[in-house]
Parts: sequence; structure tokens; C-alpha cells
Amino acid sequence: MSLRIGIREGFRTITRNASLFLLSLLVTSIALFLLSLFAFVTVNLYHFLNILDEKIEIIAFLEENADYEALTSNILKINGVRDVIYVSSEQALKDLQAELQETEEVLSVFESNPLPASLRIKLLAKSRNARGLEEISGKVMLLRGIRETIYGGELVDQLKKITSVITSFDIGLLLIIIFSVIFVIFQTIKLTIFARATEIDIMKLVGASNSFIALPFTFEGIVQGILGGFIAFILTVVTQRVAVSFLSNIYFPQGYFFVGSLLCGIIFGIIGSSLALRKFLK
Amino acid sequence: MITFDNVTKVYQKDWVALQDISFFIDKGEFVFVNGTTGAGKSTLLKLIYKDEEPTKGTIKVLDQNLRLLKKKNLPKLRRKIGVIFQDFKLLQDRTLEENIAFALDVTDTPARDMRKQMLEILTYLRLSHKKFSFPYQLSGGEQQKVAIARALVRDPYILLADEPTGNLDEKSSQEIIDVLLDINYKGTTVLMATHNLKLIKKVKKRMLRIEDGKLAADQ
Ligand SMILES: Nc1ncnc2c1ncn2[C@@H]1O[C@H](COP(=O)(O)OP(=O)(O)O)[C@@H](O)[C@H]1O
Ligand SMILES: [Mg+2]
Repeated sequence: MSLRIGIREGFRTITRNASLFLLSLLVTSIALFLLSLFAFVTVNLYHFLNILDEKIEIIAFLEENADYEALTSNILKINGVRDVIYVSSEQALKDLQAELQETEEVLSVFESNPLPASLRIKLLAKSRNARGLEEISGKVMLLRGIRETIYGGELVDQLKKITSVITSFDIGLLLIIIFSVIFVIFQTIKLTIFARATEIDIMKLVGASNSFIALPFTFEGIVQGILGGFIAFILTVVTQRVAVSFLSNIYFPQGYFFVGSLLCGIIFGIIGSSLALRKFLK
Repeated sequence: MITFDNVTKVYQKDWVALQDISFFIDKGEFVFVNGTTGAGKSTLLKLIYKDEEPTKGTIKVLDQNLRLLKKKNLPKLRRKIGVIFQDFKLLQDRTLEENIAFALDVTDTPARDMRKQMLEILTYLRLSHKKFSFPYQLSGGEQQKVAIARALVRDPYILLADEPTGNLDEKSSQEIIDVLLDINYKGTTVLMATHNLKLIKKVKKRMLRIEDGKLAADQ
């Protein structure tokens, strides 16, 4: 009952101060869009890193006539190893040809297949760093029949370092944007409270409880948050469409972004309006 | 109904608005509060509906010591007290009907009761034919009646009127006083503040006279 009235009064509040509402909706939308955009970039960065991370492996070249089956089962016993894949020397040649997209001409300069057979060693997540790679590779080297191992240890750590820098940058930015969205909604509700001072006075006079008086303003804050979140989502979808035409392999979990935008809008709306109400609705 | 016991009200900067005021108003009384502008009439009414706090002294309204009244219970007290003002305090963007319904909205009044109460009050004040009008389409007297309707629609025990005729011509003023007297006749305690002695001379009712914040006469 009083919720119905609160919503009705909330709509009245919005329409009475439409230009103020629209202006701050614009700002809210832009701020939430920035937030969404950063989430988008971050998510893709992590997605990309995950793919790279998955690709981190040790390649162990075998001596001729090595017993790859025995080696495989021994390597699998090493702590941190997830999987071992055998690549025969013929397979390696085929892969190379496929990669170079060349006919046999280039490779036919060799009389026999120059590529050694190898074991591709996939690692568990915890070992996918420079130290893990070094340790495991050291153990593998000790095994009879291994000629050489290669891995990109430094590069991996570099990548992780960049990721953590970007992550902390993201968090800082996130805080700034969250703060500004809340601030904008706070200001809007403050101005609406001032604009409706007479109404509030009369409400108090006729015995309205504080929560009843607060309801329309909270409602306005929430509406602003939801609409802002929705507009931000639409803008993000547009951005994603444009991005796809430049870069393939864009990761965009649309459902999460939709729910996330609206939820952020609602939460910031509630926080912003409650702060304003606490401060100005004595 | 209303008791003031040595009440003093000092606004900031040591401005004494009311000093050592004591009186008792019984249920069903009609009382004028008279005094020149700035004497402290509005302050006295504000203390009754707890819009201001006394600096010293005790105020009891409807058997409640206002000093002990918790903030969250203030709305409940306000619902038992109707207040009207010189400037009507109507919402300009709402019709007469919406202005009155506003007072019922704040509590969970069931729609059916609400319609009944609205009908009663509109008929009583003869406003039915104007219920879709906006305040600016009404005369001053009519606007004040809407304010009275809003104060009355919830059957308050006490009606406080602060210079209700201050913006009205003589004829409308008389009409408003007659309405207030009738409301009182039906059992509501009424306090009306006015500086206009001429207007209330003919009415034989109790009068609290305030001069410079002190109770000068109670007759
Ligand atoms: N909120 C306030 N702050 C400071 N002084 C006030 C305030 N309200 C009223 N006063 C002063 O208190 C005195 C009494 O005011 P008021 O009760 O409004 O008188 P009346 O209604 O009889 O004209 C006046 O001198 C007025 O200036
Ligand atoms: Mg006054």
C-alpha cells in the first residue's frame, strides 16, 4: 500500500524535476558505461591471459630411439605435471608444414626428417610460472632419453606482472568510478529533496514517518541507477559490436554484463539516495 | 489535553521567544492565542506539535510528555493533531482532492475508508464541486478550507490554527472562524493564534494573551 504510494510519488518527483533527472541520468549512464567498458577490457585481458596460460608448457626433445612411453609415465609422476603428449618426428614435420603453409619443396632440401620427436608437458595451474617451469624441466632433464627441454619462463612471469599491474590500475579506476556514480546520484537526490521541501514539510506535518518520506527519493535513486545501468549496457554492446569488426576473438559474456550493469546501478542508486536522505532529511 | 508548565523557549543568540509560560487546556476547549506580531504565538503552537523543543519546562500533549516522546513516535502524535497556517501550505501541483488525500496517504488507510472520509469532509466543508480544482483556481477562503479539510480528514483530537485568517478578507475570515467553532462544537480541541483582536471580540471564548513572550492574561 504505502509502497504503491511511494512509487507513485517517486514518479511524480521524477516528472516534476525532469530536466534535473535527465541530466544526472546522462552522467550516471556515462560513468556506468566507463565502468562497464573497463570491466569489458579487463575481462578480455584475463581471458587472453588464460588462453596464454593454458599454452604454457615444456617441450622435451627426445633422443633417437628413446622409450617415449616409459618417459611419459615417469614425467606424469612429477608433481605439477598435468598431461604429457607425445609428438613423433613425423607429426612435428607435418605441423611445421601446416604452420608454414609450404609445400614440401622447402623441407625437401633435407634428406631425412631433421625434427626430433618430443613430449609436450602440460602443467597444473600452480606450476605455470618461472620457478615451476624451471623445477619441472630440471627433473625432466635428469631422465634418460631426454636431449633438451625448452620453455618460456621469463615471458610467463613478465605477463603475470603486467596482469597484476593492470589489475591494480583497474581496481583504482573502479573505486573512482563507483565513487562518482554514487556522488552524482547523491547530488541529484539532494537537489530533489530541496525542490520538494514544501512537500516534505507537509508530509511531516500530517504525520508521515521518515521511511515513508524517504521512499519516493529512494525510488528515484533506484530508477536512475537502473536506467543508467541499462543505457551503459546498451553502449557496451555497441562498443563490443564495433570491437568485433576490428579484432576477432572478443570475449563478451553478455548475460553477466547485463545483470552486472543493472545491479551496479541499483546498488549505487540505493547508496547515493540513502546518503542524501540521511544528510538532508532531518 | 495540553499542559504547559513553566515553559521557556530561547532561540539561538539568546533570543527569548517565550518565558515561563504555564497553562492548561482541557478536552473540547476553544482557545484563542492573541498577541502582536513577534509576541511568540507561532512558537507556542510549534511547541505543541513538537516542531520546536522547549528550552526549559514541561509540555504535555494528549497525556504525553513531549520531552520523553521518542523521535520515531512523533509521526503518531502528529496524526492526532491537525495544523493550519496563514499561507495554507497547499501543494500547488495537486488538485484539491489530492491535497486532502495526501494526509491519508501517509498512513495505510484502506481505499474504501479513504473514499468515505474524503466524501464526508468534502461535503461538510461544501467543497465537493471543486474537488478537481487546483489551489490557484480557488479563493483564499476556499484554500484555507482545503487546508482545514486536510487537517481534519483524520479526525484529530486537537486542531491548531496559526493566523488562519491572516490572508483573508473579513467575510472569509468570519466564515473560517465559524467553521473552527463548529469543529470545536463537534468535540475537537481548537487553538487559534491571531493578532487580530477585532475579529475575535464577538466570540466569547477563552483567550491566552501573550506580550513579549510572557503570558499577560488568561481569560
Ligand atoms: N526559528 C527561529 N529562530 C530565531 N528566532 C525566531 C525563530 N522563530 C521565531 N523567532 C523569534 O521569536 C519571536 C516570536 O516569534 P513568533 O512565535 O513567530 O511570533 P508570532 O507568531 O507571535 O508573530 C520573534 O521575535 C521571532 O523573531
Ligand atoms: Mg506567527
